[in-house]
Amino acid sequence: MISKEEVLKIAKLAKLSAEDGEIEQLTLDMSKIIEYADTINASAEDEIVEFDNINSIENAFNEDIVLESYDRDEILKNREGGENGYFVVRKSLRG
Amino acid sequence: MSKIKYIQNLMETKQISCVELTEKYLNSIEKQNAVLNAYVNVTGLEALKTAKAVDEKIAQGQKLMPLEGIPMSLKDNISTKNIETTCCSKMLKGYYPIFDATVWEILKKQNSVLLGKTNMDEFAMGSSCETSCFGVTLNPVNTEYVAGGSSGGAAASVAGNMAVFGLGSDTGGSIRQPAGFCGLVGFKPTYGTVSRYGVVAYASSLDQVGSITDSVEDASIVYDSLSVYDPKDSTSVGSKISTRDKLNNSIKGLKIGIADEFFEGIQEDIKKSIQDAIKVYEESGAEIIHFEMPKLKTILPVYFIISCAEASSNLGRFDGIRYGYKTNSYRDINEMICKTRSEGFGKEVKRRIMLGTYVLSSGYYDAYYKKAQNLRGSIIQDFKNIFEKCDVILTPSVPVTAFRKGEALRDPIETYMMDICTVPVNIAGLPAVSVPCGFDKGNMPVGMQIIGNSFEDYKVLNAAYQYEMKTKASDKEVLL
Repeated sequence: MISKEEVLKIAKLAKLSAEDGEIEQLTLDMSKIIEYADTINASAEDEIVEFDNINSIENAFNEDIVLESYDRDEILKNREGGENGYFVVRKSLRG
Repeated sequence: MSKIKYIQNLMETKQISCVELTEKYLNSIEKQNAVLNAYVNVTGLEALKTAKAVDEKIAQGQKLMPLEGIPMSLKDNISTKNIETTCCSKMLKGYYPIFDATVWEILKKQNSVLLGKTNMDEFAMGSSCETSCFGVTLNPVNTEYVAGGSSGGAAASVAGNMAVFGLGSDTGGSIRQPAGFCGLVGFKPTYGTVSRYGVVAYASSLDQVGSITDSVEDASIVYDSLSVYDPKDSTSVGSKISTRDKLNNSIKGLKIGIADEFFEGIQEDIKKSIQDAIKVYEESGAEIIHFEMPKLKTILPVYFIISCAEASSNLGRFDGIRYGYKTNSYRDINEMICKTRSEGFGKEVKRRIMLGTYVLSSGYYDAYYKKAQNLRGSIIQDFKNIFEKCDVILTPSVPVTAFRKGEALRDPIETYMMDICTVPVNIAGLPAVSVPCGFDKGNMPVGMQIIGNSFEDYKVLNAAYQYEMKTKASDKEVLL
């Protein structure tokens, strides 16, 4: 059973904030699902086969050629044009 | 019968123009969409522009490409340049991609006529379209039922004669389940054969783009166009095999594997339909081979751990800084990101991000994520062993027929259990198709799943096509 405190810790890691009314239900739901996920631990260790990726493909590297990229103004369109060609966030350091 | 071939023939012989055809489909959407809610965005003007270009080509006597002039739909997690792409989440409302997904780029080059973007569960997390911020999609077969999910809009667009084919994505059954619920063909190709570039990621090692169509031949035509190597997708492999050339191969001697575990807890009338289908195969000379799948019950929690872990990582990009929803009031950047994500994501998405964060967090990683990944390796090995004895595996697509509205939201575990037949395919990266194989007592469609070995998509489609030909399962009305 996962505790309310653990749920709050996970929410912080996931950068989510749970409202007071939501925490109880979320704790219940998560406990139930984690209990279900725990059933994999009943599988025997000898059933384990190392897994890397599905088609055993290797890293694919592109040729190191400079290609045209996206236009800065176009990228900023989804943020109302940004400000002076930049995304804007509030300053994160005080002083 | 291939609707794509039939329609192209009518256009090339000038019995109908592409503009007329497109208008018919747009009218059909206008008449039905308010009730069915298959489309969340209709791109009528663009569609007519493309249709005009196709008509000009026909007037010049040029031959059409395989999907040219065909009215179709795209699931709303497939990026479309300058066309809103929302993943049916408040988080991405108002987001206009500046690039096209490779699958759409291919279709665009072929002058396929995009009618619009279809409804889905938020970020493809759900099985009834009820987690969509645009509300549920209803089943055109009977509107008391849902169309399924997460590609429910794609299925309803085809079943409601509002598109000839729809592209969807399938992470744990999201193409095959709605296709089954709506009496259609839903094809999830081998992982890596169709590019995922530009498809908003849910769980990258499981996601795959595929089609929902009326017939197996149409699924094969769409797949043959889309299965090309894409350098923009690092897991892309592509395929050079034409599945269409192999549809008519004889299935005499085809070894079909059946495992009892796939039939445990399955609705009785679904069992009966599949048994009838097995008889059809036996009459065609196929050989039935029984095998055991003792790990089937373990696959679901393995899937859940891996998909949530990957989702929590993939959805980390939604921070409100570069695009998408951004909260109104905040004191610092940390609060801005937290509030943006909490207000922008729906309940199910938040739950899966939380679970994914949990299984990846320090102290739990080895017990959950690492263990699940290793079990995944052993499941893949099991399938390899099975495919040494069988050519394809036959299972139900879903343990039940379509749900009624609200049923899928009651208990999360019970809802996840409904994916028991479809998730093994994604875990092992295999190709699988859901084909219609009858109806339940309430006249709702039943789907049968045919699974193949990796890169043997042609065998899956060949087996499905031969069944379809014997049973005429795909003979449907063509909207004209």
